[in-house]
Parts: sequence; C-alpha cells; structure tokens
Amino acid sequence: MNADRFTLTVDEYLAEKNVLFYMEDAVNQLLEHKEEYTQFGIARYFAEYFSSVRNGNHILFREFAYIRATSHNRASFIRIFWRCFRQIGKNGDLLAMMDYSSLLQLLCPDFPAEMVQKTARIVLMDDAMDCPMSFADFLYAFQIQFFYEEFLESVAMIYQGLLSGKSPNTVIVPTSTSVEQLSQLAADETAAQEGVDSSLFSDCIEALCERYKDDHPSRFAFKEILKQTQRMTFYGFLMALTKHEGISQDIGALPNKADLLIDPVMDQELEKLIAQVSISPASNSSSCAPGQKEPVRKASPRKSLHHRKRIELESDGSTEETDSSEN
Amino acid sequence: MAKVELPKCIQLSTASLVHKYESLPLLTKTAMAEKRRSGVAAILSDSKPAKPDTDEEFLSQLGVGVLLRGALLKLVEARSEDPIGFLADHFSNLASESENGAAGCGDGEKDKATQEQRLARALWHLKLAHHSQRSAFNNNVRIAYELLMQGGPRRGGGGGVRGRIYTETLRSLCREGEVSESTAAPLMRRIQCHDHEAVPFELFRQGVLTCAVFSDYVRTSRSLYTAVRPSPEALAQRALCQAVLGALRDALDTSQCADSARYLEASAKIAPCRLAKAMASAYRPRGGLGGSVMDPKEFEGAAAALFIARVRVLS
Repeated sequence: MNADRFTLTVDEYLAEKNVLFYMEDAVNQLLEHKEEYTQFGIARYFAEYFSSVRNGNHILFREFAYIRATSHNRASFIRIFWRCFRQIGKNGDLLAMMDYSSLLQLLCPDFPAEMVQKTARIVLMDDAMDCPMSFADFLYAFQIQFFYEEFLESVAMIYQGLLSGKSPNTVIVPTSTSVEQLSQLAADETAAQEGVDSSLFSDCIEALCERYKDDHPSRFAFKEILKQTQRMTFYGFLMALTKHEGISQDIGALPNKADLLIDPVMDQELEKLIAQVSISPASNSSSCAPGQKEPVRKASPRKSLHHRKRIELESDGSTEETDSSEN
Repeated sequence: MAKVELPKCIQLSTASLVHKYESLPLLTKTAMAEKRRSGVAAILSDSKPAKPDTDEEFLSQLGVGVLLRGALLKLVEARSEDPIGFLADHFSNLASESENGAAGCGDGEKDKATQEQRLARALWHLKLAHHSQRSAFNNNVRIAYELLMQGGPRRGGGGGVRGRIYTETLRSLCREGEVSESTAAPLMRRIQCHDHEAVPFELFRQGVLTCAVFSDYVRTSRSLYTAVRPSPEALAQRALCQAVLGALRDALDTSQCADSARYLEASAKIAPCRLAKAMASAYRPRGGLGGSVMDPKEFEGAAAALFIARVRVLS
C-alpha cells in the first residue's frame, strides 16, 4: 500500500490488509477463551493479538482454515515453518513426504496431507513420489504451492485443457477449425514430446491473472519462464516458479537460497546445548574444567552432522540441477 | 475529555471507554502476575454482577464494541500504511494508559517511568497525522496535551502542561523528525519555557506545530543542498549555496497581506526558474577551490536560521 491509500474508500482501505477479518477473528478468539484472555484487560488482549499478527507468529498452532485465510497468514506460516525447522536443512537430512507432513502438523494440527502431496509432486516432478527430499527443495516448492494454491489449481485446469486440445480461454481460439487443429496438434505432440506450447500457455495464464487480481505470481516472472522454451510441462512450469527468485521476493517470507540455512543465533544456542549434553555424562560431577571441554567438543555429534551435511547438500544440489534441466 | 473538534462518535466512544475502565478493578501487570487467580475473580465478580448468558452480553459488558469502533475510527482517520501495526500500537497505548491509571500513586521512580511512557504515548499521538491534515492534527495535539497534563502536579484542574515536559516534547519531536540536536537548538532556545511554567493549550499547540513544520522544513532544505552539490560525494560551492539561501530568504520575506496571497508570492519566489537564475548568476565554473565550499551542516544551520528568525514568540 502506498500513497493512494488516501484515495480508497474506507471499505477498500480496510479490506486491503484484511483489517476486519483480523478484528473478527480476535473477537472470536476472545469468546473462545473468555476468562484467560480478559485477565489483563481487553485492550491488552487486542494489543497482543495485533502485535502477533504484525510479527507473523499469530498463525502458530491455529487451524488450517485460519492459516490459509489471508496472504499475510500464508506468508507468515511459510516463514515460521522455515524458521522452526531450518536446522533440518542444516543437517542435510532428506525427508520423505510423510515426514514433512508431520512437521507441518506440529505447527498446524489439521494441516492436510494433500497439500504436502502436491508440494512433493512439484519437487519430484510428479514422479517417484516416495523419494526423500531436501529441506530447501521442499520449502521453496511448498511456498509456491501454499501461497498460490488457487492460482495453481486454475493453471492445472488450463494445462489439462490445452493438453486435451480445448482451450479454456475462448478468446484466444477464434474458430472451431483451429480448435480441432490444435487438438490434433496437441494429441500428436503429447505422443512425441511432453507439454504444451509455451506461448499459448503464457497467453492463457495471462488471461487467468485478470481474474486473480493480485494473488498470482508477477506476470513478468512467468513470462520470463515461458519465454525460455518452446514447450512446457505443468510440473516443469511449477518447478521453474519455485526456483524464480523474484517470486520468492514478492512473497517476502523466505530469504534467497544462499541465506536459507544461515542462523548464527540458533547455532550458538545449539553449540551451547550440545556442549552441555556431551560434557555432563563425560564428567561424573558437574565440574567442567576448561581443559576437559576441548576434547569433548571435538567429538560432539554436531560436528559430524555438519560434515555429513556438506557432502549431502552438494550431491543433492547436483541431482536437482539435472532434474530441472530436463525440461 | 476532548473539548475541541473531536467527532461526536469518537468523543462518545472514548468517554464510555474510560467509564468502562474505571468500573474495572485494574491492576498493574506485576500485581496481576502476583495475584492472577484472585485478580480474575475480582474482575469477574466486580464487573459482572450477573454472569453474562450470551456472547453478546459478554462483549458488551467488556465494552469490546466500543473499543473496536474507537480503534477503527482512529485507523481510518490516520490511514496508516500498516493498519495492523497501527492497531497493535493503538491497543497497547490504551492498555498501558489504563494500567497506569490503575497504578495510581507510586513512588518517585515509578512516577518517572510512567511519565516517560506518557511522553512516548503523547508523541505517538502527535505523529498520527501530518500537520497538513489540520483538524486531525489538532485533535491529536489535544489528546497529547491531556495525556501530558496528567503528569503535572495535581492542582485541581488549573494550570497546564509543565514547562519541562513541554520542552522535552518539542525536543523529542524534532529528534524524531530527523533534525539534529544542534540544528534544533536555536529554535528550542526561542520557544522553550521555564521548567516551572504552566503551558496553556494554545501555546502547546503552536509549539508542537512549529516543531512539526520546522522538521519538514529542515528535511526540505537538505534536499535543496543535495540539488546544489555537484555529486553525492562532493561539497557544494559556497557561492551557489549563498545564492540559494538568498532566494530562500526572499521567499520567506513576504509582504503583509492575506495568507493565501503570501503563499502564492512565496512559491513564486522559490520557483525553479527563479532558483536557477540565482544559481546561474552566482555560478563560477572555475571556482570550487579552497574555502569556496559549504558543508551540509553549515547549509542546514543557515537555512534553519532563516526559519527561526521568523518564529514569533507569543507573550
């Protein structure tokens, strides 16, 4: 929102950031937890509620319907998911779909497995669905899938339409003969090569954006993606969206890939914890002389994890490259 | 409470809000923590003689509707860029107001802390609307004034904001308006009050307005300097700066006629073409050596002096 907020009507201004939605939710929450939330006064309660919305931790442990209700909530959830579990990425563990589903359900008890499944389809290009995935791959795909869920749904329909030969966008295909030709063409080519014609696909998505107002990736981004190839498969397109840095920046929930796993504060805390854990069984009493500390530290499990991670991350990155380059 | 141009609805809502709070036995946060259980019991038993049957009764007994309506009115008036953050600040202000009200008579140290909080809240109100939105700005000045009055000595209604608090408010306003201490100092010397003086509302309003306009003015003068300097790293030529400052002085020196005519006259005098002319006549291409430059600090000080010279002290 910028200076033109002064020209909006009151309703438009309030709708822009879903002010009334949050107010309503605040009141509903208040009613659900009457005694607990009124003990410090209701002004304090509302202050806490809105500052948590501002900080983005309001979605913690809330129901799925709430989490996906606004784009701010979605972005906040993606961010929280990243911040809570980035140590997994650091350790370089590859997790299966079910594991990610469990992680998400730790933050949101009724988080549907379907969403995780759709995300996994993007990462694995709809193939070998039981393959484990790296945290970074999953996270960026999850971001696109969760943030633009409805938009992707429509894109899938368009894609199916294009594949089966009928364009869902009647404006683009002027006559019935060309539809037939197109379907003929599409049928021929699906046999020969995968995907649909990029420029046609691009036009259809462009028309779709009209309907979605602001809830779609920037036109510039997907045009850029579709310009690069003649033909595009659905999952190839989605994969390209997840890798597009501009889109990630627009959502604003995650840093770019290079900074994704950097978390010095948490590292320090962990080092401290691990040092404590590994020292206490080593020495019988609570005495921890500085001389003792050193050798124990070197053997700490953390270091070996670090080491393992680096190897796995590198190898993981390279397979991923080959995956996407196939399209 | 509000006596000036507050819209009726806000007046009503705040009035009944205050009333609601007075009826609640409010405790400070620490006191709350100590006797959480009994505190809850007290609220429940005191504010709700009969346990509310429906959600609606519950909400209306707490005054939620009034509270939210008041917040929305404030939000729509200010049209903050970040409405959620605005509401968070707004409610936390209200909460600390009522918590302080309940804290009541504390010892000296506590008093000082609440005074600082009060000042912070007053500043927050003052920043809500730009001074060009004059009626909203005046409302906020009034609210800030009332807030700061509470800190003063309890002399049955009379007096006003204490001079020390008034001066502190103005200083903070300038600081938050990105005006450095040294630039603001001459203005402060001109408009500050003695610590023991009581500042009436009108003087307070004028002082606050002066500082708000002054901050804007200093920021604009900074961009003027940026326009004059040859490149972001280099300093501007002294002659050019003096030409620009001269044009600025002329613009501020308007004849004594109606306000609107003076605005026109001033803007004509400071128009780009006039400025360009003044600069062209002062520009010496082969200059720029030795002491013929002026640093931004000096320029800012000189521009500020032009403004301050035109501040009339009310007596």
